[in-house]
Amino acid sequence: MKINNIKHKAMLRIIKTVFFAFIMIGFIQSCESNLDLQPEDNRLTADAVFEDPAAYKAFLAKIYAGISLSGQQGPAGDADLSGLDEGFSNYLRLYWKMQELTTDEAIIGWNDGTIKDLHAQTWTSGNEFIRTMYSRLFYQVALTNEFLRQTTDAKLDARGVDAALRAEIQDYRAEARFMRALTYWHAMDLFANVPFVTENDPIGAFLPPQIQRADLFDYVESELLAIENEIVPARQNEYGRADQGAVWMLLSKLYLNAEVYTTTPRYSDVITYTNKVIGAGYSISTNPYYHLFLADNNTNGTQTEVIFPIAFDGLNTQSFGGMTFLVHAPVGGSMTPSNYGINGGWAGVRTTATFVEQFPGEENSADGRALFYTDGQTKAIANVSPFTNGFAIEKFRNVDVNGVQGSDSTGDFADTDFPMFRLADAYLMYAEAYIRGGGGSAANAVTYINQLRIRAYGNSTGNITQSDLTLNFILSERSRELFWEAHRRTDLIRFGQFSSQGIWPWKGNVAQGVTTESFRDVMPIPATDLGINTNLQQNEGY
Amino acid sequence: MKTFLNSLLVLLFFIPSILLAQSTVSGTVTDKANALPLPGVNILVKGTSVGTTSDFDGNYTISAKSGDVIVFSYVGFKTQEITYNGQSKLNVTLTEDAAQLDEIVLIGYGSTTKQDATGAVEKISTEEFNKGAIVSPEQLLAGKSAGVRVTSNNGAPGGGSEIRIRGGASLSANNSPLIVVDGLPLDQRGVQGVRNQLNAINPNDIEDFVVLKDASATAIYGSRASNGVILITTKKGSANTPIKFEYDLKASSSQVNDYVDVLDATQFRAIAETDTNYNASLLGNSNTNWQKEIYQTAIGAIHNLTVSKGYENFNYRINYNHTSQQGVLTGDLYERNALNLSFVQRLLNNDLKLTLTTKGILDDNKYADNGAIGAAVAFDPTQSVYNADGTYFQYTGENLAPINPVFTLENNNNRARNKRNITNFNLDYKFWFLKELTFNLNAGIDYSELNGKQFNAARPTNSASFPYKNFYSGFNRNTLLDFYFNYKNNLELINAKIDLTAGHSYQEFFIKSKQTETETATTLVVRTPVINRNALESYFARVSFDIADKYLISASYRRDGSSRFGPKNRWSSFPGVSLGWKLTNEDFLKDSFFSSLKLRAGWGKTGQQEIGANYGYLGVYTPGRNDASVQIGDIFVNTLRPEEFDENLKWEETSQYNLALDFGFFNDRLTGTVDAYYRETEDLLATVPTPAGSNLSDLLTTNVGSVLSKGIELSLNGELAKSENFNWDLGVNVTLQENKITKLSLGNDPNFLIAQGGISGGVGNNIQLWREGLDPSTFYVFRQVYDNAGNPIEGAYVDVNGDNQITEADKQAYKKASPDVFAGLTNTLTYKNLDFSFTFRGSFGNYMYNNVASDRGNITTVNNAPGNYYPNAHVSVLSTNFNNQNLFSDLYLQRADFVKLDNISIGYLVPGEKITFRASLTATNVLTITKYDGLDPEISNGIDNNFYPRPQMYVLGLNFTF
Repeated sequence: MKINNIKHKAMLRIIKTVFFAFIMIGFIQSCESNLDLQPEDNRLTADAVFEDPAAYKAFLAKIYAGISLSGQQGPAGDADLSGLDEGFSNYLRLYWKMQELTTDEAIIGWNDGTIKDLHAQTWTSGNEFIRTMYSRLFYQVALTNEFLRQTTDAKLDARGVDAALRAEIQDYRAEARFMRALTYWHAMDLFANVPFVTENDPIGAFLPPQIQRADLFDYVESELLAIENEIVPARQNEYGRADQGAVWMLLSKLYLNAEVYTTTPRYSDVITYTNKVIGAGYSISTNPYYHLFLADNNTNGTQTEVIFPIAFDGLNTQSFGGMTFLVHAPVGGSMTPSNYGINGGWAGVRTTATFVEQFPGEENSADGRALFYTDGQTKAIANVSPFTNGFAIEKFRNVDVNGVQGSDSTGDFADTDFPMFRLADAYLMYAEAYIRGGGGSAANAVTYINQLRIRAYGNSTGNITQSDLTLNFILSERSRELFWEAHRRTDLIRFGQFSSQGIWPWKGNVAQGVTTESFRDVMPIPATDLGINTNLQQNEGY
Repeated sequence: MKTFLNSLLVLLFFIPSILLAQSTVSGTVTDKANALPLPGVNILVKGTSVGTTSDFDGNYTISAKSGDVIVFSYVGFKTQEITYNGQSKLNVTLTEDAAQLDEIVLIGYGSTTKQDATGAVEKISTEEFNKGAIVSPEQLLAGKSAGVRVTSNNGAPGGGSEIRIRGGASLSANNSPLIVVDGLPLDQRGVQGVRNQLNAINPNDIEDFVVLKDASATAIYGSRASNGVILITTKKGSANTPIKFEYDLKASSSQVNDYVDVLDATQFRAIAETDTNYNASLLGNSNTNWQKEIYQTAIGAIHNLTVSKGYENFNYRINYNHTSQQGVLTGDLYERNALNLSFVQRLLNNDLKLTLTTKGILDDNKYADNGAIGAAVAFDPTQSVYNADGTYFQYTGENLAPINPVFTLENNNNRARNKRNITNFNLDYKFWFLKELTFNLNAGIDYSELNGKQFNAARPTNSASFPYKNFYSGFNRNTLLDFYFNYKNNLELINAKIDLTAGHSYQEFFIKSKQTETETATTLVVRTPVINRNALESYFARVSFDIADKYLISASYRRDGSSRFGPKNRWSSFPGVSLGWKLTNEDFLKDSFFSSLKLRAGWGKTGQQEIGANYGYLGVYTPGRNDASVQIGDIFVNTLRPEEFDENLKWEETSQYNLALDFGFFNDRLTGTVDAYYRETEDLLATVPTPAGSNLSDLLTTNVGSVLSKGIELSLNGELAKSENFNWDLGVNVTLQENKITKLSLGNDPNFLIAQGGISGGVGNNIQLWREGLDPSTFYVFRQVYDNAGNPIEGAYVDVNGDNQITEADKQAYKKASPDVFAGLTNTLTYKNLDFSFTFRGSFGNYMYNNVASDRGNITTVNNAPGNYYPNAHVSVLSTNFNNQNLFSDLYLQRADFVKLDNISIGYLVPGEKITFRASLTATNVLTITKYDGLDPEISNGIDNNFYPRPQMYVLGLNFTF
């Protein structure tokens, strides 16, 4: 019994000791709470970053960079989007491909994924270029939404932002809303019925609802009308920033295509808003046409025409998209790269015979806008891949009016700014709206168009008269004036010439070209997003 | 925390010395057969509950009175009873009883024996290691363990490997096992600036690897254990051993024995001449094999000098290693100078053991520009390397043309030195009043400092280009503090052994990187340093019972917190349970056909947080660089970007079931294990497309979907011959496995896919896909159509959806890069002092996409360069006659089953009184049997593109011990 008792006591002691030792582990919890870690380098949390008043403008700059750049590091290395090669993911490069490669104005020979399907009009909902365009558009929307969330009165109050900065931020907010409207317009034009998110939505795991094209039209219109008088007046803002002129221009474009988007024509509104643009003091310079697309196009005189530029710089605004692409990709064959201010061509983009034939006299046209390069190139395209099939185009170049290369001495990156909106487009929209019964005057329309043609011909030999004012003429004239400026697909659709009518080489993936089905007037919602976002319904035909 | 620990240490060290009053006896238990110390021997004062076990070095201490009978028992050995008569020292030798010596196996925060292990745990020791001049430790393991696949990344000297235990448990997050060196878990991301972070561990210094495969074994490492754990134990001296010197040399010579099949000058010229704008002046008159020009015979030497000695209470081991290995790509060099020290001090009658291991490594790399490999494949074979005047031939003014690869290797220079120290201090203390209770404290640091310089010559193809200089530096710091209590005892009342462990661990990782690089011809720009810090905190516990030496039960629990998740989701729990039944200890199987038989079953849950991003739950803003700024007015404004985030980011969790049978026949001359597992990962951390508009990027790392893997692993080890003069051991392991994605998105579209596996040829092209129901390495291709003669018809593919067009929609998921079955075979023969061994490794059911052929096997490659030059094509163009790239044709997808004779080695030992000498000859990467046409059938992602070839190597080994 005694022995048992001792044993029992020993046992108890062991249990107590073991229990004590193991319980001690639990005490450690109070000592360690080092799991709340914050960034320690130049990255900052939202609360920390806006302690610096300059952060608001830097964020606004990011919204503009959303179109020209592909990430935080030039030319590549810290991409905004990671679903496709960074250089390919650039907004302007993708938008240009959507608007131009799908038409008679441009064809590309590369083997990058499904890129050739764009010109062949055989794309599917799995096309990565269409997918990345879509991702880029909604990245831009999310970015502007975040800007608007971070600049609400409540946030500014909480951060104690002073009155001067606050006033500036109100301008920024108007511009951010303009940029969002611009992107939603692109989305509506390309994809029709798209996910819809505003600053009232959160960031995170939710499924945005789908908005119908006509409803999105109303939203974009209401946004633009709301900021029309909040944004900086036309031609009064800093270079590169949007102003009232850009708002009017976008409203004009919205109304011009309203019938496509909503089935309700709004041509008289086109006249109203193009009149506002035209009356704002922009002018067609006396420089030759090609000066508009040179490295010094922000200073060489032609900038007086530009309503909203996308600014590039060979040293400070570097990417493999945007102007770098537009200058390099069309150079190949026997073209001398140094004539274009670059170190080598990418031998990709040419044009079709259909576009060449828009010019009387074709490559030898008296029209100064016929910027063809034909040495060693064939007009016809027997094979899509070789660069020498099809005439080359020398429009965007990285040299100034004297032929001097832009600021990047290596010849990689261009200084040339992209004229997103320019006066010539406003003139042509006015003329078209007039023809379509929106009001205005024939005389004005003719005067406006002749201003462009006098610049193109160098004299009045190319001038038109009122009897030339037909829809077909307008469609052709828009192509001659605005080719490769990312308008063509929208124009062809408005004129019903994009899919089930209208033929050009390699449309439908055959050399002579065939018509395609009309559902291709709208791009497919990418399969990836349909797979994730169960709120979405695919566009008809896909 | 600090004060707490200090007082704890005071308590542990000093109190016992004051209170010590009882008479104690200590000594060493050794094996009679080889005089090696025996760890884990049960020592008991007969008729009492006073007992202990011998430690790793066979040492023990026990309290006893004169006249007590002390019982020494150990599985596999004859039990010895000795009557104690007051002596302070009692050394005991045990004689082997059964054939099998039961080994101690580490299992993470403790150890068990092979017999008592209930999880899928495998130990691979020195004698089983691969032979050859091995620079990287993981190569010792290749082909040695079922379920473990080690694939070297390429043939670069000191290059890393992809290690997969039971496939990978994740998709985008880390799929590599956790590697723990002497108790210190390494950073799973590696350290910056080295080819392979494991090179910090000298292969010569490794005692053994323990591979923890199933979750019941790994759950104790909870947060980082989903992909298995590899515990590396380095060699330490042992007590009471005379001073021993060892010098080991491995001198090697390696060369490339196969090249990518490109056109020779004649074949090439014939195609160039078909160009419609053929320009003969662009071709030369040579017949250059450009690949031969860039590779060299590489020389290497590995020296190891080791000194060790053991005193009664102290032992040390000092190893100096010098490794120098040239790469076969000219100019590539790996060098290592390492000093590895270990000290073990025993105090307080062996109750306190202090172990310090420290490694100082200078890891020097000269990185040859791997771009030369692609350029050599693409370069016009009619051109000579040098012009008549001795200058390099170049395509001056052709910016997109390849650069002469010999020029590149000669002129571009990239050197980096990584200074690294891995130190681990371990304290193991047995409580004076309760010997069965031990306290173990582990403090470790892994600090590495990088300094690198890169110089690239101006691009000779572009006269405006300027040289590029890049100075990069930084450091990685990984600090660990963990401790645990362990209680082990025999509960005689219920005829059971109990083993309890509980502890706490805190580990922090800090990384800083700096860079200064050329921005314009004349300026260097200092980049903003990048800093990353993350931390893990854990509590863990394990309890094991061994009832009647028949039934084993083990349960573990770990609670982990990671700084990578928000406070709401920060902590998660990872339990594991396993059972074992030693059938041969049951009466009904006592004298059966089996000499040992054990059934094991386990289940466990493990986690994953190794997703790369540290602040994925927190919205952060990243400033833009000057070269990505925007013109506003007359100034360029640097941008500010809000990053994507998922505030609900949480742990990925893997559940794994394991069922296994360990068996032995013929007195355990033939032993084996069959393991079957089923593993499911949920809340998968994957980088997947976000719903457009919902976040600030197109892809986001978030918790989505699940993957499943299952497999069967078999390993057999036989001592086919066993005698004094002749021994023949054969080991075979076979693994069958299957992985598939079971869910991939929040939606429910079964056709939802994410493109994977970027390839060359165009930009943004992918050849693989993730889709529900498929292995994650599945290829996504068009099915090629052939004419009646069996030749492929260019551009003709099976029109799967029947719409008379070949579009994206006609691509099919077809074959995969991962094998269905892989196996290893190790053979060792010794006859007297001669030994002979070889290792075969095989892989079956895996396919390879020949990207060099698909990218370059066409006429357009030669004739449609974006400039005035003709690049070379892959020979497949001669059989396919393809004009254009047909990147997605399944023609380029080939069966890549292989059997490789990894190494074959012969050695002779000259024993001597004072000096032992061994010489060996080894050949590695000897033979590959495969049907695959490309360079190597073993490329981990299944995409063969400009692969750095694995050389064949011949090694002379010399070893002196005295």
